[in-house]
Order: sequence, then structure tokens, then C-alpha cells
Amino acid sequence: MAKKAVIIGIDGVPCSLLKAYMDQRIMPGLREIVAEGNLMPMRSTLPEVSSVAWTSFMTGEPPAEHSIFGFMEIDKNSYQYVFPNFTSIKSPLFWEGLNVPTIAFNIPQTYPARPMNGVMVSGFVAPDLTKAAYPQRVYDYLKAMDYRLDVNSRLAAEDPDAFFKDLFQTFEKRTEAIRHLFTSEDWRIFIAVITETDRLHHFFFDSAFEGRYHEVFADFYNRLDSLLRELFLRSKKDGAVFFTCSDHGFTNITTEVYVNRLLMEKGLLDLPSGATNLTGIGAGSTAFCLDPSRVYMHLKGKYSRGSVSPEDYEKTRNQVKDVFESLAYNGRKVVKKVFLKEEIFSGPYSQDAPDLYVMGEPGFDLKSSVGKNSVFGLSAFRGAHTYEDAHFLASGCTIPEDNISIENVAGLVLRSISED
Amino acid sequence: MSIDEKVAKSISVIREAIEKTGVENMSIAITGGKDSTTNLWLFKNACEEMGVRLPVCMFIDEGDVFDEISEFVEHMKRLWSLKIEVIKNRDVSSKAGGIGDIVQVASLNETNKAAIAEMGFSGADFEFIPDSTVCNHLMKTVPMREFIVKNGIKVLSTAIRWDEQSARKKEEYFSPRENPEHTRLHPILHFSERDIWIAIFKYDIPYNKLYRTGYRSLGARCATGKASDVPAWMQDLEHTPERVGRGQDKEKVMEQLRTLGYM
Repeated sequence: MAKKAVIIGIDGVPCSLLKAYMDQRIMPGLREIVAEGNLMPMRSTLPEVSSVAWTSFMTGEPPAEHSIFGFMEIDKNSYQYVFPNFTSIKSPLFWEGLNVPTIAFNIPQTYPARPMNGVMVSGFVAPDLTKAAYPQRVYDYLKAMDYRLDVNSRLAAEDPDAFFKDLFQTFEKRTEAIRHLFTSEDWRIFIAVITETDRLHHFFFDSAFEGRYHEVFADFYNRLDSLLRELFLRSKKDGAVFFTCSDHGFTNITTEVYVNRLLMEKGLLDLPSGATNLTGIGAGSTAFCLDPSRVYMHLKGKYSRGSVSPEDYEKTRNQVKDVFESLAYNGRKVVKKVFLKEEIFSGPYSQDAPDLYVMGEPGFDLKSSVGKNSVFGLSAFRGAHTYEDAHFLASGCTIPEDNISIENVAGLVLRSISED
Repeated sequence: MSIDEKVAKSISVIREAIEKTGVENMSIAITGGKDSTTNLWLFKNACEEMGVRLPVCMFIDEGDVFDEISEFVEHMKRLWSLKIEVIKNRDVSSKAGGIGDIVQVASLNETNKAAIAEMGFSGADFEFIPDSTVCNHLMKTVPMREFIVKNGIKVLSTAIRWDEQSARKKEEYFSPRENPEHTRLHPILHFSERDIWIAIFKYDIPYNKLYRTGYRSLGARCATGKASDVPAWMQDLEHTPERVGRGQDKEKVMEQLRTLGYM
């Protein structure tokens, strides 16, 4: 194998934002990198959430192959939430076959950490640092330098200034750890993901281009730019190919759309009043939703209280599809497309895929949200994920393809390091 | 493959190992869990067919064993006349009064110090938390190596399965290992989690009562939580992760997801 590869993941960073920031001179370092490479928009996965998209990044496979469809599933008997973790991924990771020393730092969906050829530091959701690092010497280092697994997002709604302080401190620790691993560990493939951007975007994306907190964006992205430039120059010196990519894009929110509330209002979902989860689901329910907008038909035989019979599946599913397609907000169409399971999921785990997947028009942030009083509303969030407008940047190698998705990245990286 | 065919396949793998090595130089790792008990049952069948005694069983006491597991292993010992060696890294466990106590690296013997160095651990002390990275290495790997060397074990059988996690997909029935040199025998690789329960009920293989109360996977007591209140075999095995109940992570995960707007 000829080369080393460096991939810096930046969670939730749109291609359009990077282009704007380069034009506005917020990211001069990126301009240098792009001048020697290729920046292009990229599609996420469906669903366009981080756990699914980063798993597709790691495996080079779609959800029906690697089996991660979202951050949570439900137990089909008890309807309690279950949370897939790193052990749930059913496909090998793209670096495992090569068996070369690899650093896998802060990639979402890699908790708990497990032994590998190289270093693993788990990414979101990682509740416990003692299970989030391999090997032991890396845990010791992270503990000693007061590493932070994630930004304290609870602060965002309560106290924006405290949130921003925490954001910058977390990013500083992230940067320090990345530098340490880059210089002190042996590696052929170096992967590090910055997740601070996603946290900032969730709560303050309306300030990304102008507005009350735009200075915070400019400051943060300027620092990110310095880090990217530093890693790019080091990569060049090392003869490594250099990539950055995100897992999805971001856009402003017009309104949130609470899917389980909509199903309840249409008589398709029966939950007790005051319900905070799906464990009280009534037997007569036709369908329910898991984040972000995965809709499952409440099939008899599949779920312990399921009542939709297999003969009625197609007809009932189409009824549910109609509900979404006809949904309007102030005269505007809310839903861009309702995908049927078989249209977008194919692989050994497609039976675990949602029966319907609903994609909103830009600005409509669909959420499962049990326990809301109305279909539409706003909360602390000012940014929503997008399927389009993620980004992919490659430098030091040629990428002739366009119209790529995050599932293609693994193959592109592997190809680039085997070229002479 | 039907369950009978899967059983037959495992037994043929075990027979091949016994024919090549002989039961005196083999050992079966048991934990009191459903997989190793099923593996043991398969060995029992193979040995009865071949007219040989069962190899010695190796049980690792990692420092915080469920009472129910100790009782169950005792019960199996009587039921199947097993020869069981319980191994424990007493040099480490004797330095800790309880779970979470600090152990000084300097107070350990040379073997343990070397094991710590080999992990790349450079701290002067560590917390005694069974199932953590350091403790796993010291409480499981170190005594296992000593056991293999002391008893001249050429083949050690464990109950890993391909479907447990993607890293296991490359494992083979016969897997050579070093430090010390021996062969690992994995007769039930091709069993899924569901197959284990099918076999347990079809062939009436004993299983630990903890599974009935909702535990799906059994590790050290302090590190294992219930996955659900429903018996393990009635849980959604195919679509929920097996080890999700281990550790007290679930509540923290929910809280972090909620803060980002999920659920």
C-alpha cells in the first residue's frame, strides 16, 4: 500500500457553508486545501442522522447492510427503547480488512471501544470514558488531560454564553487530543471527527450567516480552519492523502413537525395521555414513528400488540402515506417525499427498516416526539439536518466521480491509498 | 441449516479436535452463561459418543461473580460430574477490598506488572472494576495464560459466535494463538443467539435463572444490567443488541439523546 490517509470528519457541516465561509475569508486555510483538491457536495444516508451516516462512512454500506437505522429502536414485545451501539454494527469497518494501524477518533456510533490494530476513542453516544478508549494508554492520556467526550448541550437553551464557552473548551480538548495522537501514535489511516459543529448548528444555525451569534460562528470556524490547515500541511509532509467530509448538511427551521402527534390526531396511533414513550401503545394503533421520521406499521405477529394484518399492509400503508403527503403548514406542503421501505432499503436487514420514511421540505424538521400537544411547534432548536449538501473534500488524489453519497467515501479512501 | 444440523456440525468439529489432541490436553472455558453451557453440552455429547471423559473445565473468577452464576456452576458440576478449575488472579484481587478500590501497580507480582506494561498502561495505580480494560486483562487473560502453561493445555475451547459482533466474523473453528502457544477451538461459531435458545429448549440444556428475569448477557455483576423484564429468549434477539444491558449506560444514553431533541 503506497500511502497514508487522513480523514477529518466535521459533523453536520454543509458544503454551501464552507463555500460561503471561504468567500467571506472566514476560512483561508480551507481555500488553500481546496486549491490543491476537490470540494463537492455529497448526499447523506436515509435516515440522515449521524449514527446511520457515520456507520455508512465506516462500513461503506447502506443501513440495510450494516443494520443501523437510527439512534434507537424499540423492543417488539415491551415497546421499550433500545439503543444500538458499536457491537450492533453488522458489517466490517473499511480499515479492518487492511489490518494496518488505524486511529479511529470520536467517530459517532463507536461506543464501547474495543481492541483493534491502532487506537479507538468512541464518539457519540459515549456515556463513560472508561469504556470509550483503546488501548489503556490512550484512556490514561485522555483522563489526565481532562478530555471531554461531548459539548454540554443542556447549556444551549439555558445560557448561550456558557454553552459557547463549553463549546470552545471541548473543541480545544478535541484538538489537543488529535494532535497528540497524530504525532505520538503509529498509523497508516488517521480518522478524527469533530462533533462540536453539529451541536452549534442544532441550537444556533440561524446565526450561521448573519444575526445575533454570527461572531461565534466566525470565531469557531476560524479556529477549525487553523486545525484543518495544520493537519493538511502535516499530511502533505507525510505523503498522506487528505480528506474532510460531513455526515449530513444543515438548514434553518421553519417549524418542527411532531410525527407521533400527527398520527394520534389522525386516529392512527393510540397512546395514553401523558405518555413519554411508546410502552403504552394501544393495540388498535396502526402506525408509530421513531426518530427522525421512520414510520412503522403496527403489524400483527411482528409486534406483541400489533393489529394490522398482513393482507391489509399495502392498503393501510398507503393510507398513512396519504396523511403525510396531504399535510400542509400555512398553506405550504410539508412533506417532500414519502419513501416506501422497498424503494430505499435493500439488504439483509431490510426487514428492520421502517415501512415508510418521510422526508420534509427544507425547513420542516420532522421528529418522532411523543407527548406533544400539537403537530407543529418550535423548541430550543434552530437548525435541522439535510440529506443533500453534506460535503466531501479530497486532496492529494483525483476523484473523478460526482454525485456521491457518504456510503462511497470508504471505497474512495481505499482506492486513493492503493494508487501509486 | 436446521438446529440438528448445526449441532451435528459442532460435534464434528469437537470430535476432530479430540481425535487430533486427546482430552487430557484440552480444556473447556465455562462462564455459567448460555453459550458456554451449550458448548459444554455439545462436548458432553461428543465425548459420550467417543467413550472418553470430558476435558477439564476452566472457570475464571473475574472478581465480581453473580451468586446465581456460582450456584449454577456448582449445580452443573454435580449434574454432569465436571472437573472444574476455578482460576483467579489473587495477586490482584487481594489488593482490593471492594469494587472500585485503588490497586497500586508496584504492589503486584512480576507477571502482573509485565501484563500491565504489555497493555501500554503507564499509570501507577488503577481502580479495581471488573470488566474494565485493565481488569479484564489482569483478571482474565493473565490467569488463563498461567492455566494453559501449568496444565500443558494444547486446545482451549470457548463459546464465541459469529453473530456477536462484526469483529468476530473472521474467527475460525480452529484458531492458533501465541503467548502461550495453543489452539482455540470455537465449535459454536455458526450458532446465532436465537439458535442457542432453540437448542436449550429443544435439548433441555440447563440455563441460569438470571436469563428468565430479563438478563440477556451475563458479565461481572457490577457491570451487568437487565436488558428488560422479560425472559431473555422472549426478547427481540434479532433486532436489538445482545450486550445492551451490560453496564449502566442506558439512562445516560437516553438523557444525551433527549438533549439533542430525540425521543
